[in-house]
Amino acid sequence: MINYFDPSQHRIDPDRDYGTPPRLSEKAVVLTIDGIEISVPEGTSVLRAAALAGITIPKLCASDNLEAFGSCRLCAVQIEGRRGYPASCTTPVAEGMDVTTQNGKLARLRRNVMELYISDHPLDCLTCPANGDCELQDMAGAVGLREVRYGFEGENHLDAEIDASNPYFSFDPSKCIVCSRCVRACEEVQGTFALTIDGRGFDSKIAAGQNEPFMDSECVSCGACVQACPTSTLMEKSVIDQGVPEHSVVTTCAYCGVGCSFEAQMKGDQLVRMVPYKGGDANHGHSCVKGRFAFGYATHQDRITEPMIRDSIDQPWRPVSWDEAIGFAARRLKETQARYGRESIGGITSSRCTNEETYLVQKLVRAGFGNNNTDTCARVCHSPTGYGLKTTLGESAGTQTFDSVMKADTILVIGANPTDAHPVFGSQMRRRLREGATLIVADPRRIDLLKTPHGGRMLHLPLKPGTNVALINSLAHVVVTEGLEDKAFIETRCETEAYRIWRDFISEARNSPEALEAETGVPAAQIREAARSYASVGNGAIYYGLGVTEHSQGSTMVMGIANLAMATGNLGREGVGVNPLRGQNNVQGSCDMGSFPHELPGYQHVADLDVRQRFESVWQTTLDDEPGLRIPNMFDAAIAGTFKALYVQGEDIAQSDPNTQHVQAALTSLDCLIVQDIFLNETAKYAHVLLPGSTFLEKNGTFTNAERRINRVRKVMAPVAGKEDWEVTQDLANALGYPMNYSHPSEIMDEIALLTPTFTGVSYAKLEEQGSIQWPCNAEHPDGTPTMHELDFPIGKGHFAVTEYVPTEERSNRRFPLLLTTGRILSQYNVGAQTRRTDNSQWHEEDVLEIHPSDAEVRGIAEGDWLGVSSRVGHTVLRCRISDRMQPGVVYTTFHHPGSGANVITTDSSDWATNCPEYKVTAVQVEKVSQPSEWQKRFHHFDRRQRGYLEQGAEEPAPAGQ
Amino acid sequence: MSDQQLSQLVKMVNQIAANQHGDPSTAAQRVTSHLQKFWARSMKAQIIDYLDSDGSQLSPVAREAVADLKRLRQAS
Repeated sequence: MINYFDPSQHRIDPDRDYGTPPRLSEKAVVLTIDGIEISVPEGTSVLRAAALAGITIPKLCASDNLEAFGSCRLCAVQIEGRRGYPASCTTPVAEGMDVTTQNGKLARLRRNVMELYISDHPLDCLTCPANGDCELQDMAGAVGLREVRYGFEGENHLDAEIDASNPYFSFDPSKCIVCSRCVRACEEVQGTFALTIDGRGFDSKIAAGQNEPFMDSECVSCGACVQACPTSTLMEKSVIDQGVPEHSVVTTCAYCGVGCSFEAQMKGDQLVRMVPYKGGDANHGHSCVKGRFAFGYATHQDRITEPMIRDSIDQPWRPVSWDEAIGFAARRLKETQARYGRESIGGITSSRCTNEETYLVQKLVRAGFGNNNTDTCARVCHSPTGYGLKTTLGESAGTQTFDSVMKADTILVIGANPTDAHPVFGSQMRRRLREGATLIVADPRRIDLLKTPHGGRMLHLPLKPGTNVALINSLAHVVVTEGLEDKAFIETRCETEAYRIWRDFISEARNSPEALEAETGVPAAQIREAARSYASVGNGAIYYGLGVTEHSQGSTMVMGIANLAMATGNLGREGVGVNPLRGQNNVQGSCDMGSFPHELPGYQHVADLDVRQRFESVWQTTLDDEPGLRIPNMFDAAIAGTFKALYVQGEDIAQSDPNTQHVQAALTSLDCLIVQDIFLNETAKYAHVLLPGSTFLEKNGTFTNAERRINRVRKVMAPVAGKEDWEVTQDLANALGYPMNYSHPSEIMDEIALLTPTFTGVSYAKLEEQGSIQWPCNAEHPDGTPTMHELDFPIGKGHFAVTEYVPTEERSNRRFPLLLTTGRILSQYNVGAQTRRTDNSQWHEEDVLEIHPSDAEVRGIAEGDWLGVSSRVGHTVLRCRISDRMQPGVVYTTFHHPGSGANVITTDSSDWATNCPEYKVTAVQVEKVSQPSEWQKRFHHFDRRQRGYLEQGAEEPAPAGQ
Repeated sequence: MSDQQLSQLVKMVNQIAANQHGDPSTAAQRVTSHLQKFWARSMKAQIIDYLDSDGSQLSPVAREAVADLKRLRQAS
């Protein structure tokens, strides 16, 4: 018997459209199609069964990412013993069925269908943007359409108006065949339900929102409809402008931690469009507005195209050769160490760069600089995840695949906003919610996931910012005191003594939802209902984001989440688990690669002699056995005058880190700041050496997404300044006298595999073969590990950690009566350096302050007013948006634009265990003002000056011979 | 070392201490091991110097932890 779901025997070809989605039944049905016998799972359509047998049935309205619809009738077949010509897409297979897909009658029928379609379709194929990439054209060819007997004079839609309101795609209804693929893609794939068919019969037309232009509708511009459209009705403007691409390369998106696979579709070295790759294990052919459309920054005029140096930040930049820039940087680093000591310099790795690049930067610091002063931007987002999960579960990583959510019965989302920050996974979650899973959201804001159309039961726990641990403790209290624990799991999988101590602690009345109600602001009854739902309704899965980690008790909260999952046995199988949603594309990878000052790659502590010796023998050097400085410690040391030089690859600390004025003071204290980036970012304005970075399109490497999935990044165009980022780090190491001689990132990965126990089986060859690998991948798990902790934990037994609630010191008071919390929106990414340089800015031109109507009213504030926002560390001015998404007393903003100064207000308050900043809680006052803040005035002045220095440098050609 | 840097370190160690559960000596042990594992050499030296010269801003658990840290580092 043939089993199509054993990938080792029958790999589904991602480049083929099988017509209808797979069915997962274990019961097989055998049928015959055109004389070929085939066995498929029960419930499979005849269309898909034929495709699996290698037989192509013409089709227009069917696609294997959408449920069958049966509207075009092109896929009609004949079935022995049945009457008429059923549509094969809507006909499920039956045992012994005998199907004929091609004969004279079927050919005539299909030709007639196509003739009707074409009678109301423009005949401008030669000048149509879809020419050569049009399913309607293909089908006309396939059925042998030779004439249209009806003529073209009758009533038609040929004059329908084009809607070009969306910056990335156009909608030309004159070419629409009303197959409704776009409508179904919007519903089934994306889950937004922005599109509909307006009217009936001949009047039917596709309408966005309430029959509005696309831009005014609730469309989120994910592009699923554009991809689904079989004609050029919905078409990328880039294809309209440039024509159909001629080759494509599969690579990985460089935006969020979902890590979608894309086909970069090219013309020569020009990227025409990004099409999500159906074979991508994280995204299965879906994408969001950022990944699909916002790639124009790669060729933006602001790209830094040549290395530059200067002696002080009050001087114009001087463009120089790579050799001179690297030589200058190495000399300054050596001079600094000679004068201030070995520990006076350090480096920051990037969560946006590849694993190989990150690995190399930390290696440069440890081996080349001779200290452990390496850190990464994960410090300011998910460092508590590393600490918390390692302490409780024994591994610093999420436990599941994304697909696991499709088996979850209760989904608990804490401090995450998936539809904005992880949109493709947000769509998958919504799919599961439409199937009836219960959603519980613990968040100060009413996030959009709670507005999932056709979702099941939804519960919102609108807690006060800063009270996460009180909330998780009260949930666990209910589980323990109401007997909802999974005793068998606890007994066999967890440490007995630690569990007993934790159980005693959590059972105390002071941890009950009633006792903590005043603290969290969430009614006890809601907490009890949520706990019961999570603990007792089948599979409970927890997803969390920076709303968990970016607190003074971020690490405690992560441990609290792990405790709750262990106590309810929601670990070690599909549908459950503890899942940190990573912010940037390679946060997981940058942590895995040893970016933190206390850990070598693979989370191996620097004080461990055996570990150090293995690294020392491969790296041919002696390693420091003490942890180095973390980013905030580096800033403090810089201001104190003991830390004097810093190499920053691909992170904009001056915009993204909290308490901007403190960061600026630290950066101006440095004697040598080396910034490697694709743009003159905020940090680069304080730099002495500016090394051009390369985008993900310009290099080879790997990213690791939030589900531990290692995906290949493939070069599709040459780096604008001639070097991939890893080559620059290698040159700097060599100039410092520490030799590195890699000729390709695959060699770096081989070294990683040699030194990292969870990566021993990873290689580029294996990635080519498997597509992607979820670590651990080693002798025990040769093909990787989709679900972690199935049999035991890396530390043996799971460890319950006592999670005492310690309120943050950052509390509202008379002077600062409101709590500010910060976050992200869909169209912009992190500091915005990339997305602000694309048309995505049409959705979010500026950061605004969201304030509750009642807080606005008492302050006499109206929509659009300029608001002064002050905290104990700073003051900035933002425009007002009145919104009831937060509770009274809470205000919200984003940090995508540098001039907004969101981080001028955030403080140095941080997680007790990891120093991850407490971005999510800042006590502030808000008042109406009429002019920008002093900081903003200084910012704009400094910004103008620094841009001027760049332009002056660009006008001055590099002296020959240097 | 600046006052600002020192006050930050004192704040950090007190915060670590405040987040430990259990009796003071167990809590202090946990703080010590946390400092050993996560603090840079220079930070450890600074907080030990502070204990020797003043130490008044350290919470009782933090004080005990830093004293332990000092003993451990002298021993090694």
